Amino acid sequence: MTKVNELLEQFHKVAVSPEEQLKSYLSQGRKVVACVPVYTPEELIHSMNLVPFGAWGAEIEVREAKKYFPAFICSILQTTLEMGITGKYDGISAIVIPSLCDSLKCLGENWKYGVPNIPFIPMTYPQNRNNDNGRAFTKAGYLRVIDDLEKITGKKFSEAELAKSNKVYNLHNQAMRRLSDVLVEYPWISASQRNDIFKSAYYMTKEEHTTLVNQLMDLLLEMPKETSNMKKIITTGIIADSRDLLTIIGENDMQIVGDDIAHESRQYRTDVNESKDALEGLADKFSRMDNCSVLYDVDKKRGDYIAEMAKRTGADGVVVVMTKFCDPEEFDYPIMKKKFDAAGIPSVLIEVDMQMNNYEQARTALQTFKDMLN
Amino acid sequence: MSEEVIKKPKYVEDPNSAKSKLNKITSDHYSNLWMAKEKGEMIGWCASNFPQEIFETLGLTVCYPENQAAAIAARGAGEKMCLISEGDGYSNDICAYARVSLAYAKIKDAPEQNMPQPDYLLCCNNICNTMIKWYENLSVELNIPLVLIDIPFNPDYNPSKAEVEYVKNQFLEAIKQLEKITGKTWSDEKFKEVMEISNRTSRAWLKATNFTKNTPSPLNGFDLLNHMAVAVCARGKIEAAEAFELLAEEYEKAVQEGTSTFRAEEKHRLMFEGIACWPHLRVTATELKSRGINMVATIYADAFGFIYDDLDGLIEAYCNVPNAMNLEHARDKRVAIAKNTKAEALLVHTNRSCKLWSGFMYEMSRQIGEACEIPVASFDGDQADPRNFSEAQYATRVQALTEIMESNKGGK
Ligand code: SF4
Ligand code: SF4
Repeated sequence: MTKVNELLEQFHKVAVSPEEQLKSYLSQGRKVVACVPVYTPEELIHSMNLVPFGAWGAEIEVREAKKYFPAFICSILQTTLEMGITGKYDGISAIVIPSLCDSLKCLGENWKYGVPNIPFIPMTYPQNRNNDNGRAFTKAGYLRVIDDLEKITGKKFSEAELAKSNKVYNLHNQAMRRLSDVLVEYPWISASQRNDIFKSAYYMTKEEHTTLVNQLMDLLLEMPKETSNMKKIITTGIIADSRDLLTIIGENDMQIVGDDIAHESRQYRTDVNESKDALEGLADKFSRMDNCSVLYDVDKKRGDYIAEMAKRTGADGVVVVMTKFCDPEEFDYPIMKKKFDAAGIPSVLIEVDMQMNNYEQARTALQTFKDMLN
Repeated sequence: MSEEVIKKPKYVEDPNSAKSKLNKITSDHYSNLWMAKEKGEMIGWCASNFPQEIFETLGLTVCYPENQAAAIAARGAGEKMCLISEGDGYSNDICAYARVSLAYAKIKDAPEQNMPQPDYLLCCNNICNTMIKWYENLSVELNIPLVLIDIPFNPDYNPSKAEVEYVKNQFLEAIKQLEKITGKTWSDEKFKEVMEISNRTSRAWLKATNFTKNTPSPLNGFDLLNHMAVAVCARGKIEAAEAFELLAEEYEKAVQEGTSTFRAEEKHRLMFEGIACWPHLRVTATELKSRGINMVATIYADAFGFIYDDLDGLIEAYCNVPNAMNLEHARDKRVAIAKNTKAEALLVHTNRSCKLWSGFMYEMSRQIGEACEIPVASFDGDQADPRNFSEAQYATRVQALTEIMESNKGGK
């Protein structure tokens, strides 16, 4: 048990102080590349012996970024830009920004002028992605990222190294998928601790993270499984890492038994097919990704996907964690809600924002939701 | 005065004027739609920047939810429609055109501007990814097929070869998909003809809009916002080409005769950035006119001028629409327009609906202001939701710009 707690503490430490991790990488002489959501080709960066470092915003005040963004852009991007302008990313070699939503397109353009000391590398993905034409375009996008990385960092790309990185990332994906299921049996691990494990993955090398996650699972599986009276929920949204919100979930005796959070499990659903050439394989991986608000889906299967997940995990309800001003998610919500209702799955919408100091509304909504589930 | 009542002569629009021809094209557009629907033809709902050459060649009848939403908003029903969507769970944060359109798809009646329900959807995201989300939802709600041509935002100055290739393949695929959906067949010959007419329309449109470079300008820049509807929905039609050619002739004549559709003394010349605030069009226009400010420059003029020689050129033109360009390219285009039209100030509409248009506009407008040495001011508004605009704020910003323009002139 102490060992489990030690591991959980280790995840927590990394999750709450990414800046320490950054300092440590830089002091070891490693080159670090910031990776902006929602999908960044981390494998490429990793394969060039660079450290991919997650840039999903932070709970900080926005001042400087207001000179670039109007108020109606999501706080993930506002705070990411703020960190760049105020020097929090100094020492980082480059930032890769994919343009999967309209606000992300703007982040790249603003970055060039707001943070001129950290080069912006754009990654342009196709939306009509699951066919040869789409895959070719994804590959062209990756080649461009490689080219920029080579120029900026002086490192060299090779297919052989990428094949190794693809494997590292596949192993990590598998560990993270398994983790989500294993945790269902150990309800005493809180929503915050679960989030620590997911969040820390962005600030550690994947090898390290996989090892720790596997260790944790091995230790847990030696312990007796537990049943509890907690209400089981699925979370969905872009990010759900607010400490206050996670605490409220815990206070209301809710256990997260699965998630469709972009910052968490959405990253780990799809593996690279290792039998393909490495770069082709990576492009092919993107072409098969789905059930996400920033990926075109004419059938809008996401609601069914979550309903299915709820059934599989025995969840009592779905908590939609809506990032304020995130239009892709806001468009998906009414369609998903209909699917949840049709499947008889209770759901609640909680709006969050990284500048939020008052969670009273969220608290009341979750309390009411819990009463409803009872 | 005697008992006699002096009657003003009633204004009769000359049916041979470009304005009335353009208005007729717009009204015919809607009546043709209803006729087609009655005849049992399939109707498409189409994104404003979807390559119209495809459906013109196939002889399909389509209409434009963006135009409809603008018309509904201009006629005062923007809020009513937005509230319907919000009642269905849509956040008031998403584009108001989408909220109006999703509401219309549901209630199927808006006396302010009705149009037939669709049998299929044509989406192109070169103006925004919001378009994709909006059309996905329409497709699911109405249970009809959707054809998407994905034209990504281009982070570089010009589209790459890979992008042109990617878009071209989708263009060809879209033709196949549409042949299957509608049963119509493609003709290369007709395609050539459509390309010719489209180029002719675009050239005439650009020529006409370019007359604002004259001092004084022969037109009130707000006229362009109305005529734009034709540039959007009838580019491939010969009537549109002819009407714009006539419009250009009229402006030419007006320049020679020193007349203008701007019914005030043109004291100042302004560049307006962004979509019009349709629900407050009159207020926004009057505020300028009352100060003798004519709007002589807008990126809109360029937005629907597609000039190209062949299929690759066509694809490149669609990759190069204003909202798909990086900051530098978008800035340079505007700087060129502002200089060409001798705009003395830049007024920016920070449009609550449009994240892409407003999301890097602060930086871009700073750069335009510096490059052209003109003052810049912005105001908060929305193209279709009337709740996001404050008349007082608008007036204050316009007043501030006027004072700088005046003092700039005084100092010269
Ligand atoms: S997807 Fe949503 S949360 Fe993510 S960057 Fe875009 S608007 Fe922000
Ligand atoms: S206003 Fe902006 S977000 Fe809305 S449809 Fe037009 S370009 Fe897209």
